Amino acid sequence: MMSQPRDNIEEQALDWLIRQREPAFDEWEAFADWLAADPEHAAIYHAMAAADERSAALFTAPSPAPIVRRAEAITPRRRIGRRSAIGLATAAALLAITSYGLLGPGSSPYAVETPPGVHRTVTLADGTRIEMNGGTRLRLDREDSRLALLDHGEAAFTVTHDADNPFVVKTGDATLRDVGTIFNVLREAGVTQVAVAEGAVLYNPDGEAVRLDAGRTLRAVDGEDHVVLGSTAPADMAGWRQGRLVYDGAPLASVASDLSRNLGLRVAASPEVAARPFRGIIMLDRDRDRLLAQLGPLLDVDVKRDQQGWTLTARTRAQP
Amino acid sequence: MTQAGLEALFLANRARLLRFIIAHGGGDQAEDLLQELWLRIAAAQPGPIAQPLSYLYRAANNLMLDRYRSAQYTARRERDWSDANGATVPGISDEPSGERAMIAREQLRIAEQRLATLGARAAAIFRRHRIDGASQRQIAAEMGVSLSTVESDLRKSYRAMIDLQKDFDEA
Repeated sequence: MMSQPRDNIEEQALDWLIRQREPAFDEWEAFADWLAADPEHAAIYHAMAAADERSAALFTAPSPAPIVRRAEAITPRRRIGRRSAIGLATAAALLAITSYGLLGPGSSPYAVETPPGVHRTVTLADGTRIEMNGGTRLRLDREDSRLALLDHGEAAFTVTHDADNPFVVKTGDATLRDVGTIFNVLREAGVTQVAVAEGAVLYNPDGEAVRLDAGRTLRAVDGEDHVVLGSTAPADMAGWRQGRLVYDGAPLASVASDLSRNLGLRVAASPEVAARPFRGIIMLDRDRDRLLAQLGPLLDVDVKRDQQGWTLTARTRAQP
Repeated sequence: MTQAGLEALFLANRARLLRFIIAHGGGDQAEDLLQELWLRIAAAQPGPIAQPLSYLYRAANNLMLDRYRSAQYTARRERDWSDANGATVPGISDEPSGERAMIAREQLRIAEQRLATLGARAAAIFRRHRIDGASQRQIAAEMGVSLSTVESDLRKSYRAMIDLQKDFDEA
C-alpha cells in the first residue's frame, strides 16, 4: 500500500478521535483495520489522542464545585416557610396550598402516587410525559397541564416545549422552568436534586435564576443558602427508566435509597458506610436475589438481611 | 452483564482484541498487554454494561493510550534529566506545584482565546462535546444546527486544540 501524505492521516486520526468520544461509538473493528493498515496510523493517532487529553485536562482542571449563592430576594411567603421550624410534611403541604393558590379558582388538582418498586408514566394533555420512579407522589392539575408539584420521590420529565407557556415543576423550595427539555427531579429528605438530559431548565427563575443546560446537575438542601452545581453525562441521567443507575461518587446512602425506590425493598446504608462514595453502574436485574448477591462485591460492602429489609455494612471478611 | 459474562465475552473475543493491541503497536508484548487488559477490567468491577464488546475495545484503546503516554513521560523525564543535569525524583515533578498551576492557568487562557477565534458556535460545540460529553446528535438538536455543521465545527476545534498542545510542547 502506498503511504499517504501525513495530513491525510492526521485528518483520519482526528475523525476517529472525535467519533470515539460518542458514547454509542461501536466501530472498533473498522478502527482496528485502519490502525493495522499502516504503523504510521497508530503513531499519529497516539500523538493526537495524547494532545487531545492534555487539552481537555486544561478545561477540566480540578476546581472547587461551583457554588451559587441563594438569592436574597425570595418571595415573602417562601421566606416565612423557610424560617419557621416546621416539619417536612407541613412544608410540603404549605407549598401545595400556596401553589394551588397561584392557580386560581379554576384549578382541579389530583394526585398520582407510585408505591416503591413500581414505575408509572403519566402523559399530560399537552403531550408532556412524566415517568415516575417508585415511591413518588406528584400533584397535577386537570385544568393546567403546565404545572406539576413533586411532593417526594423521583420523576423524569419529557416536556413538550412552549416558549409562551413554559412547563413548571415545583418541589421543596425550588421552582424549575423548562426551556425545551428532558430533566430528572429527585426530592427526598429535604434535598432537591435536578439533572438535565436535554435542553435546559431554569432553577428558581424569580430568585437565583440558575440556568442548567444539558449535562448539568444541581443539588439544593432545604434551609442552606447555596446550591451546588455539577455535571453528569446526559445519557446517564434518569437511567432508572432503563433499569440503569449510574454513579460518579454518590454516597452509599443515596445509592441505598435509589435501590429502595426502584426495587420496592427497604435498602439502607449503615452509618459507617453511608458517606462512602460509589462510582459505577448498577443494572436493575429483574432477579432481585441475583442483584442483591452482586451488590456486595460491586459496592464493596456486606449486604445483610434483617427484619426491616437489607442493610449495607462495612465488609468484615478480608478481600481475596 | 455479570463479571462472569464479561470474562466469557473477553475469552470469546480474545483473538480480535489481540489483533487490536497489535495494530496499536503492541508488538511482541501484545500477549502481556492482553493479560494486563483483563486485570484492569476485572479490577474495575464495572457492574453490568450496555455494549459489552465496545466496552472491552474501549478499555483496550485506553490501555494502549496510557502506555503511549507513560512512554512519552519517561522520554521527557530522561531528556529533562540530561538537559538540566539536576536531581530528580521519579514520579515527582520538579516544578513547584504553584508554578505548574500558573502554567496551567496561562495555557487555559491561551486555549480559550484560540477557541474564541473559531467563533462562539464552534467554541460552544467543542465544550459540549469534549468537556460535557454530549453527543453530536444532541448538540445539533440543542443548537438548532445540522449534524454536518456540528461535525465541521468539531473538526476545526479539536484540530485547533491539538495543534495548540503541540505548540506548547515545542515552546
